[in-house]
This record gives sequence, C-alpha cells and structure tokens, in this order.
Amino acid sequence: MSLDRSPSPRLSGGWSSPGLTTPHDGAANLSRGLSPSKRSNGTPRDVTWASAKAASARVNGYPSYTSQNQGFFSRHMRKVSEALPYFAHGGQEDRLREKEKLGRGRAGPAIRYLYRRTSYLGGGSKFVIILGANQGGGVMEWKGAREWAIERDSVKNKKRYANEWGYELEIVDMATKKRYAHEWRESWEKVDVIRNSMRKYPNAEWFWWLDLNTFIMEPSYSLQSHIFSNLQATTYRDINLYNPLHIQHPPNGTSGDPNAPKFANYLDPISLSATGDSDPNSINLLVPQDCGGFNLGSFFVKRSDWTDRLLDVWWDPVFYEQKHMEWEHKEQDALEYIYTNQPWVRPHVAFVPQRKINAFPHGACGDNRGVPEGGCGGLDITGKEPKGGKEKECGVQGIHYQEKERDFLVNMAGCEWGRDCWGEMYNFRELSMKLNRHLWEKFKDWWDGEDEEELKKKEEVKKKKEGKKE
Amino acid sequence: MQFPYPRKTSQPPAYQPSRASTFQRRRTLRNLAPYIAGILTLILLFVYFLRPSTPTTTRAPPGTPPVVLVTTLDAKQSEHYKANIIENRKDYASRHGYSTFFPNTTDYDLMSGVPSSWSTVPAMRHALTLYPHTPWIFYLTSTALIMNPSQPLDLKVLDPRKLESLMIVDRPVVPPDSVIKTFSHLKGERIDFILTQDKEGLAGGSLLLRNGEWAKFFLDAWYDPLYRSYNFQKAEGHALEHIVQWHGTVLSKLALVPQRVLNGYTKEVAGSEEGRYQEGDFVANFHGCARDPKRNCEMEMKPLMVRWQELRDGEGRR
Repeated sequence: MSLDRSPSPRLSGGWSSPGLTTPHDGAANLSRGLSPSKRSNGTPRDVTWASAKAASARVNGYPSYTSQNQGFFSRHMRKVSEALPYFAHGGQEDRLREKEKLGRGRAGPAIRYLYRRTSYLGGGSKFVIILGANQGGGVMEWKGAREWAIERDSVKNKKRYANEWGYELEIVDMATKKRYAHEWRESWEKVDVIRNSMRKYPNAEWFWWLDLNTFIMEPSYSLQSHIFSNLQATTYRDINLYNPLHIQHPPNGTSGDPNAPKFANYLDPISLSATGDSDPNSINLLVPQDCGGFNLGSFFVKRSDWTDRLLDVWWDPVFYEQKHMEWEHKEQDALEYIYTNQPWVRPHVAFVPQRKINAFPHGACGDNRGVPEGGCGGLDITGKEPKGGKEKECGVQGIHYQEKERDFLVNMAGCEWGRDCWGEMYNFRELSMKLNRHLWEKFKDWWDGEDEEELKKKEEVKKKKEGKKE
Repeated sequence: MQFPYPRKTSQPPAYQPSRASTFQRRRTLRNLAPYIAGILTLILLFVYFLRPSTPTTTRAPPGTPPVVLVTTLDAKQSEHYKANIIENRKDYASRHGYSTFFPNTTDYDLMSGVPSSWSTVPAMRHALTLYPHTPWIFYLTSTALIMNPSQPLDLKVLDPRKLESLMIVDRPVVPPDSVIKTFSHLKGERIDFILTQDKEGLAGGSLLLRNGEWAKFFLDAWYDPLYRSYNFQKAEGHALEHIVQWHGTVLSKLALVPQRVLNGYTKEVAGSEEGRYQEGDFVANFHGCARDPKRNCEMEMKPLMVRWQELRDGEGRR
C-alpha cells in the first residue's frame, strides 16, 4: 500500500498498521503489554495494532502468557527428531543413494552451492540460466507423455547443473500467449523474457537462454572455466572466420553495389574494424553459428546499455510488416538482419564455436562428420585450417556433438521435424550418465570385463538402427 | 499455577557485567582506537589506489571544438545560396570556437529512389566519425539561417540545468493525440538528443545530438534500410517519429524544447504562432521552401539574409 502523503513525524504517524509504526513505538507497546491501562484511552494517535491486540487479550480473559511450549524440547522437538539419523529401516540406504543428490538433508552440497555463488569465491550468482519450458501445448500442438517426459528430463538436468555451480535458474513458461499469437510477435517473447529476467536478477551479469530440447552433457564444466575466464581464446569476433550467411564484414556504409558511384564511408574506426575494439570486456552477446546462420537455441547476453538497446530494437512493426513472410526463423532472422544492417551492433557481438555450447545431434544440419583420429587437439580460433580440414568437425566450423571430445551441451534442434525427440533425449541422458559415472562404477564395469563385449555389441546394433532411420 | 507470587519469566535477563570491568574494556579500546583507525585507513588507501581501474576514455586533444555544425547542401541549390549558408554558419562557429561540416546530399549511398533528405542521418554519423572528441553535433537544415549568433549553445540550451528548465515534459510526441508522451523525470545530464516540435510533429530541421555510443545506435537504427524502403510520406521525419514512439531506449534520451529556442518558423510557413520566428530569436527556418514548388527558398530568404548581414556589419563598426 502506498502513502498518499509523507508520514507525519509523530510517533506511529496516525496509521494503525504494524509496518508503519516506528520500531520504538511497537516495542514499547509490547513490553508494556501486561499493563496497558495508560495506552487504552483510545485517542486516534495511540490506536496501534499491538496495543489493540493487547487490549483484546485483556478483554478475552485469557492469561497474557502461554503456559504450553515453554520448555526447550517442547518447542524444538520436531526439528531435533528430524535431524537424528535413522537406522531402523534396513535396505533404505540404497534407495536414498539412488535418489538425485539435490542436497536433501545433506550439508556438503548446500555449503558448496553457497560458496560457489558468492562473487569473490565462485561468481556463480552472476549467471542466470533462462530455460524456456512448457512449449507447445494447447490445441495446435498436443503435448503427450513424451513431451512431458522430455520437459521433465530437461528441467531436472538444468536444475542439477545450477545447483552444482551456484547459478540462478529461471524456468519460464512459454505457453503461447494471446498477444504473441500467430502473426504478431510470436517467437519474439524470448526478448521480453530476457528483459524481465534482467529486472528480476539485478546483480547478475550474464544471462543464458536455453531452449527446452537441450541437455547439459558435462555438468562438471562450469561456465566460468569453459568460456568466461578466457573469452579471448574461446570466442571470435570476426565473422569471416566462419560466415555461413556470407555477411560482408567489416561494413562499409554503402549498399555494396559495385556499380554505384563512390560514396563516402561515414563509419568510425571501431565499427570498421573486423574485431571491434578487441577487448573481451566489450562483448555483450555471444552467439553460436550453425550451418545456416546464427542459432539462438543457446546464447549468452550480458547486462549493459547496449543490450537494453538491442532488446528494444529487436522487434519493430515496420521491420515485421515488411519482412515477416521472409523471416522463417523469426527473431533469429531478425537478429541476423540487424547485425548485417546496423553497424552499431557489430563491435559488441562475439561468436562462439557451436560445439562449445550448442552441439547438434547427428541429423540436424546434416550428418555428423566425426573427428579425425586422435581428436581435434583443442579449439583453435585463429583461422588456421583445422585438423581434418572442412570435412571433419574440428575448429570453429564444427557443429555436431562429439562424444570423444566431451562436448558440453547438446541442442536437439529441429527434432520435431522428422526425428525422435524423446529417443534422442533419452539416449543423450544415458550417454551423459555413462560418461560421468562415479569412479566406483567405472571400476565395477571394468571388473565385469567379459560383459563389456556384449554391451558393445548392443550399442552397435542400436547405432545401426538409428542409421537406418535417418 | 500454585505459586503464591507471580513467576519469574523463563527468559532471565541478560548478564550484566559489573561496572568496573566494562570501564576497563572501554579504556583499552580507547587507547587502541587510533591505531586501529590508522591501519584501516591504510588498508583502504591501498585497495583504492591499487585496484584494477577501468580504462578511462582518452582525453580530448586541445583545440577540440565543443560543437560541430552540420548542414547538408543540396545540388539543386544555387552556388550563391550555398555560399550564403556557409557564410552564415561559419560566422556563428567562429564566434564560439565551433567547427563546421558541409557534406553534399549525394555524398552518401542512400538507396535508389530514396528522397535526398535522408542524407541528414549519414551526415551526422559522418560528423561523429570526423570529430570523435566533440561532445555535441548541431544539425541545421539548409533552409534555415542563424539570425542571432550572440549566445553560445551551451548557455542557450546545452547546460543541464538550463535544459531541464526548458524541457517540455509530458507532451504527446506527435500532436495532438499521440499516446506516447515525453518523460517527466529526465535529468539534463542524461539527455542525448534535443529537438523541437512543430504543429504537425517532430521538427527534424534543427537537432542537437550528444556524441557517444547512444548516438551511434540511434543514427544507425534511424538509417536502417527498412525504414527507407517503407516509403514514409515525410521520409526521415516520419521514421524519426516512429522510432521515438516505438522504442523506449530512444524516448528516454530525448528532450523537447520550445520551438523558438532552436527552430523558429518564418511567416511563410503554415505553423503555430508560438513557434513563429521573431526578431532576436536564434534561428529562422523557412521550413518546406525546397519541397513546395510554389515557394522559392532564395527569394524568401533574401530579406532575412540582408538583415543578418546588416546586424553583423553593425557589430563590426561598433
């Protein structure tokens, strides 16, 4: 509730509401609860909630102190009994271990979460993961058991990751809203969601948008160690390193028509430079590129004035009216358009190789070309020819998930067009669990060496089946 | 309960140490206090001077003009006309240490079939590039004359407090009934774009733009090819009104000032009386004389041009 005039300087200001009395006044009332006669004259300035309660307690005739729950144990019995370990149930330990270790009743992960969040120890609270959940549904796209299962797995995976590293997780309901309904801003709600998150988490610096059909394969990688502690080596600003859209870079302030007369190039040196000001601190948008352009299934945005402006101009009715029939991927194409035509955007956008945060499964964007023998030997963004050349998935042009390289995240983009979303999600989940299993389990697997051959044979059969489906 | 007298509470009062020991403690504290304060100050100074500092912007080299006057010149205008305009701007600039910039409307690659008035936008962007340390750009259309060059721009409008006193708040951006109104609580230091409003909408003939990242964003967004290809009736004027109404990041940096401060219209222009140029005003704008075939800019401008020359020569004689 708001005050329509400033509170008067008198004690309690004449408002009979606990939040608006001064603490001194409230305390005075409580301490004198047993003898409220001085305060009960009922003049408006002294009618406070505390005194009214005391007055009614007197009137009711009950004693003004409670005789029950006076001792230590009677007040804390429930808490104490819950904290005691229980040994009565025999085989329950196994069940407890198999449950997700989300810090239920355990102090270790809780402490780790807290210290990883702080800005001087871990920096986790600076990152917000925004997960767009509850997509589809309604009459247009029926959500069956599989869709719900996919959602459950995806959400659980992100929750576990956020708890592990102390990040914030914002699960956003993307149910088709009326004002975004067909033909009007549909799919641009991502932009509004990011803006709302920026308002909701005022201390966070980086905001990571994730589509629902994604899975974090390696939860042991933190965002800081994977990307942000060394932006210079993990991102590239010159789109000429990998340019599936063939965008002319740097811009030259002209329409690019070679037959036109010589025009003045009116752009400033930083806009004209291929790498902006080459300062990793000025990166405000991190986008991966897939085989056809920018991919907004998994991207990072930094809090800044530049970001506010970008989120503001991302949608415009004049652009929408002229281009929405052409922009099949809506806000993704809009961003590509703005990047191409408005030079102020380029110095603050950096690209991250797709396999770093947005690897595709086999079948999305073509076939998985695999990596050469011996792996890729680390990521190289200097523009040298990657290992294996363009035919393999090394370097900045690598798109597909590589198990041997232990890629971070898989984005099952476009799985609803011709592939099996649930099957992919399930397989990647199992693969992630297998790759990150406990040392003890690895030992057990090695111990049961003779069974391994059978497992391998089973996997090969499965892969053949998948290959037939494609 | 069965006790004859009221029970003691189960929360006994907190332990009160005896007066002597508190006195002792306070005295040792008082003795040590200066040393503690000294050590804390040293630590704070250490941290303050040795923390990694953010890179400050490069200092403006000496001789940087505080304002750049930009006027785009149209090829259709006669040489004599252009010479008059150039003289007019240079005179004002030389009085206050400002610079001038005169690009042609054909210097920039407007798409084919686009009115040449769109060249305003790349001209300003070019000025930002040529004068990267100049804080303000003043664009004045070639159909306007600076009649009263006595006051510098910062006293007239750029000083934050003066700007706040002149700012028109809560006014519909496009009169009479636009739902988007100018903000009421903007600080002068945060304003990056100052212009006036005439009877029909925003008057793009006289603009003040603060150099910086916002200016680059604003000009690049205004110059987007989709706005040019949309064929607005008043070209960049309507595009400007559109941007201001649809994008809050632009509206929040905009200030409207009374028309006569920057952009008084002469009597030939159909406009409101409160925007009418009067003797002693800063700028006289023959708005629309180039677009309207019935009017002739050179003829309209002649009397005021002569008047301006009289005033200028009169000063010289004194």
